[in-house]
Amino acid sequence: MISKIGFVVNPIAGMGGKVGLKGTDGVLKKAIKLGAKPIATQKAVETVKKFISINSKKDKIKWFTCKGEMGSNVLKKAGIKNFEIVYSPKYNSTSKLDTKNASEKFIEEKVDLILFCGGDGTARDIFEIVKTRIPILGIPSGVKMHSGVFGISTSASAKTLNEFVNNNLTIGDAEIMDLNEEKYRKGEWKIKLFGIAKGIVEPTYIQVGKSTFETLSDNEIKDELYEHILDEIEKNNDCLFLFGSGGTIDYIANKIGVKNSLLGIDAIYNKKVIGTDLNEQGILNLLRKYLKVKLLLSPIGAQGFILGRGNLQLSPEIIKIIGIDNIIVVSTPAKLASIPAIRVDMGDEELDRMFAEKEFIMVVIGYRLSRVVKIQTLT
Amino acid sequence: MNRNSKSFLKEEYDELVKKNFDWKLRILESGSTPHSIVDGKKVIMLCSNNYLSLSNHPKLIKAAIDAAKQYGAGSGSVRAIAGTMKLHIEVEKRLAKFKRTESSLIYQTGFAANAGLIPQLVGKEDIIISDELNHGSIIDGVRLTKAERAVYKHRDMGELEKVLIEADKKSRRILIITDGVFSMDGDIAPMDKIVKLASEFGAMTYVDDAHGEGVIGEDGRGIGAHFNIEGKIDVEMGTFSKAYGVVGGLIAGSQNLTNFAYNKSRTWLLSGSHPPAVAGAQLAAIDVLETEPEHVKKLWDNTNYFKKELISMGFDTGESETPITPVIVGESSKAKELSNKLFTEGIFALPIVFPMVARDKARIRTMMNAGLTKKDLDFTLEKFEKLGKQLDII
Repeated sequence: MISKIGFVVNPIAGMGGKVGLKGTDGVLKKAIKLGAKPIATQKAVETVKKFISINSKKDKIKWFTCKGEMGSNVLKKAGIKNFEIVYSPKYNSTSKLDTKNASEKFIEEKVDLILFCGGDGTARDIFEIVKTRIPILGIPSGVKMHSGVFGISTSASAKTLNEFVNNNLTIGDAEIMDLNEEKYRKGEWKIKLFGIAKGIVEPTYIQVGKSTFETLSDNEIKDELYEHILDEIEKNNDCLFLFGSGGTIDYIANKIGVKNSLLGIDAIYNKKVIGTDLNEQGILNLLRKYLKVKLLLSPIGAQGFILGRGNLQLSPEIIKIIGIDNIIVVSTPAKLASIPAIRVDMGDEELDRMFAEKEFIMVVIGYRLSRVVKIQTLT
Repeated sequence: MNRNSKSFLKEEYDELVKKNFDWKLRILESGSTPHSIVDGKKVIMLCSNNYLSLSNHPKLIKAAIDAAKQYGAGSGSVRAIAGTMKLHIEVEKRLAKFKRTESSLIYQTGFAANAGLIPQLVGKEDIIISDELNHGSIIDGVRLTKAERAVYKHRDMGELEKVLIEADKKSRRILIITDGVFSMDGDIAPMDKIVKLASEFGAMTYVDDAHGEGVIGEDGRGIGAHFNIEGKIDVEMGTFSKAYGVVGGLIAGSQNLTNFAYNKSRTWLLSGSHPPAVAGAQLAAIDVLETEPEHVKKLWDNTNYFKKELISMGFDTGESETPITPVIVGESSKAKELSNKLFTEGIFALPIVFPMVARDKARIRTMMNAGLTKKDLDFTLEKFEKLGKQLDII
């Protein structure tokens, strides 16, 4: 089978970082004035070269890309001659509009995967167009890379791409994060969950014989997680459940039959939604009414954060009231394998100490199946 | 009606063949001997579990023949009804004595022991804590229970303790299950530490020592003897089909354990008992282990020499502490290629690839045999060195 890869580079991604601008959205001229140099091209060339060196099915790959620095130059530099240019940017200095236009073209060409080089902003631009129609894989090159679509290095992205074209990987959820760059430059750290894209993940293997394995799809695993949580809810019928954000929890909520918000915090009592997309105050109001509370969270792919990224409504005060022992963390084994640790970034000394003392957290990875994972606090 | 309930047989098999996941059975045209004939070719056997070459020992062969002559070819029934012969009881008594436990029980196979006993040891309010690399038959046994399950990182006692702390808060009974010798890497579970942690939390311990029985511990008594904790592991499970050279599963522990086990394990209750020839050979195997320590010694001498030479050539043998020595080569394709070339050169050793092991840790798994001579080993090592260089592994 031929793999069709859409390839796009955001040539200016990562330029703000070295000159302390924390992103290039709207401030490119300032960045260049401060001496910023393009790094995305080099990162993209590195990745494609590495991919070529490990891939054995070159004739089974068809590349679709953009003209110039947004793609074709990179592929040429990496040694790829056969590709189709599906989009040409109007001006030399490209913008997010070009990324979006290219994404439209990739949809028309029905590519199997979009490989991009950039940061969270680039991921967001592509996601806005393709939504969950095409899986996305990122080559890290931006200033901010909090989304779950990135490889941890150029070489990791190349390896993932290789496994994907060899049909060894499956499609799973990947969070798209972004922060308000204006606020971030002013020192206000506000990362929000922007959406849930499709990324590529290792399937879960279940040993069925001495060396034979069945692979379980992402949804089969999520069905197990749903059954586990349903048991918890039925066992604790006097308990308020706060559902965090993300694809896994969204799936569980839909199965339970409640209408929740994909990106926000929802409150569920007796299998009914009693609050949706709650802010900090809304949650605090509920905590006054309900004495028994459990908080359901799922880590962000590749990053591992359960608190402090994309869910700032869950303030330190709220977590202290709920109690860290009442947090239930669920994750597909594939996602868990992609993260170094369960991470929290609350900026609160007392909570950091509590998490540090706990050291490990049990993560539910199947029906009545869990594994122990290290907790890391960022301070 | 459009229903077709049979087409999946062919479809799923074809899919396995397409992915190259199907078993291509190699045919043994000799006995399982250190030099075997496999698919018509004479090879040095490095993938049998017949570690001590006892399957060819004259005493075992004679005992099998004598038992068959005296008691017939089959046992006539399941153990529970009319299939318990004096011979079966004798094996169990001798085995308990050899393993220095109060009692023992023979199952039809090792798989039958795990699949039959584990689900009886825990219920819905209980938790099973297991090593992430446990063998498939343990995993199946665990999947048959209603208990909660938690996994800890391979041999990581820190993680095990954390899981125990969590389990302590909510579970009725706690069962810790681990392989004794891990069959992919040849490393050993720290059973002394596991037993100590278990006693702190009132947990029960269960070890699948299939690759340790007859191999580790004094005269091959297994993992309990290896750590000097005989009788302290609640369930020592093992097999007669590997180093013992016959077939059959076993458990050793307290009288309470075996009384419970044979009354509750469905696999034990509902399968025919071993034929007299099998029981006779099992008995002789214990006899040989007790009276001829040279086999275990030779196995270890061979293992130590082979491993040392491989390492000095620059091969990566991982964390192996036993006669299972993995030769880690990296990519799956390379492991398969090395295995094929070794076979052409007259050495039979299978590749182990993803997802059995990590993608970049594909390997040839070698299993040492006490029946190989130094000349055999030097021949094997020479081929490994030649092919290792040819394939850019060393």
